[in-house]
Amino acid sequence: MNKRKVTFTVNGERHELVVEPNELLLNVLREKLGLTGTKYACGKGQCGACTVLVNGESFLSCLTLAVAVDGAEIRTIEGVAEPDGTLDPIQEAFLDSSAIQCGFCTPGMVLMGRELLNRNPRATEEEIREQIKGNLCRCTGYFSIVRAIKSCCEK
Amino acid sequence: MINTRILTQEFDYFAPESIKQVVELLERHGEGARVIAGGTDLINQMKEEKMSPSCLVNIMNVKGLRYIKEDEGLRIGAATKLRDVRAYCFKSRYVALYEAISSLGKPQVWNMGTIGGNLCNASPAADTAPPLLVFKARVKLVGKDGERELLLEDFFTGVNSTVLQPTELMVEIHLDPPGDGAGNAFLKVARVGADISKVSCAVFLKRQGRTCTECRVALGAVAPVPMRVKVVEEMIEGREIEESLVAKASEIVSEEVKPIDDIRSSAEYRRQVAAVTFRDVFWKAWDRAIGGKN
Repeated sequence: MNKRKVTFTVNGERHELVVEPNELLLNVLREKLGLTGTKYACGKGQCGACTVLVNGESFLSCLTLAVAVDGAEIRTIEGVAEPDGTLDPIQEAFLDSSAIQCGFCTPGMVLMGRELLNRNPRATEEEIREQIKGNLCRCTGYFSIVRAIKSCCEK
Repeated sequence: MINTRILTQEFDYFAPESIKQVVELLERHGEGARVIAGGTDLINQMKEEKMSPSCLVNIMNVKGLRYIKEDEGLRIGAATKLRDVRAYCFKSRYVALYEAISSLGKPQVWNMGTIGGNLCNASPAADTAPPLLVFKARVKLVGKDGERELLLEDFFTGVNSTVLQPTELMVEIHLDPPGDGAGNAFLKVARVGADISKVSCAVFLKRQGRTCTECRVALGAVAPVPMRVKVVEEMIEGREIEESLVAKASEIVSEEVKPIDDIRSSAEYRRQVAAVTFRDVFWKAWDRAIGGKN
């Protein structure tokens, strides 16, 4: 295998790494950068727990080769709050709406909400449900998650 | 047991910037080379060890493979992301393609996956295939001996197999212009929102008053390849449309499909649902042909 040097920005910080072609973005984030907020669950792109934003678009990091995001700007759940720890409004909304139980789907859900609101601050409930249709949650029954995202939408 | 956390396979990786370089790399690395675009299908197949390429050629940095333009119909670069195609086709004359991509996977897959990837992976359930078949799409392939263009219906040869040579790359998908008085629609049946189709169907038609002057019908997930149902098209074309004719046509759809039993459905179920799905899609397209929404 031909190792490659890749450069990308993660949560505003620039990283230069040498990776093997078969390394997945998920594992590079978790194991090389210590960002364990991004979760491994199904590993098949079915559950959405590994979702990160690549150049502002939601990607499944368990199906993304690290070499393929060379030059990209990546945002993980660790980069959603302000550097001083102030939570993003959507994170506050998840707390207020009790949209978190075990928490395993939460990083993916928050990032999906963030992506939607960045693109469409006036999203309807239907659009919210479409946005998170590929993110599985086994605890909440989704109602509280939809409510949390909805509460961040402009009226 | 299959480990989905890591990719155990080893391979070389290239990210060329021109179509010429892609073809050269494919030629140099021979049968073991695979083109990778979004990777949502390929990486899964590699994790499941259904595929073990010795070399991956990423085409996402290739210039001139991502575009959508109107030019004697619609021309779409093969590496155009599903999200861009979906956005373009919304409320367009190609709304069946919008409906198909909306039902395909989830937003993450629209961001990663490409229209060419959906076709080249050649799943019998590829959701973009039925609408593209009814739009009489042609695909352009480039290889070491130049380029060739063929109808999409001649592209698929079986489950996950196509006429694409190991040294060829799909570069463009070209849809026919729909023309006046045309309507089209797509519908799929799946267990939950982000699941793979049990049955999918697209219809394109043209009408003059109560007469259907042109009709094309395609179904997915009910045969080894996405299929046109030409017997039904011939039955409908040139005829005045009545409930009874469409009901009869839907029975023929049921007889023509060749579904299998699998984890998602039984063949018997697929046969019955194919008929109903066809009927619903036909009426939707029929209404749209005179400007109706449903």
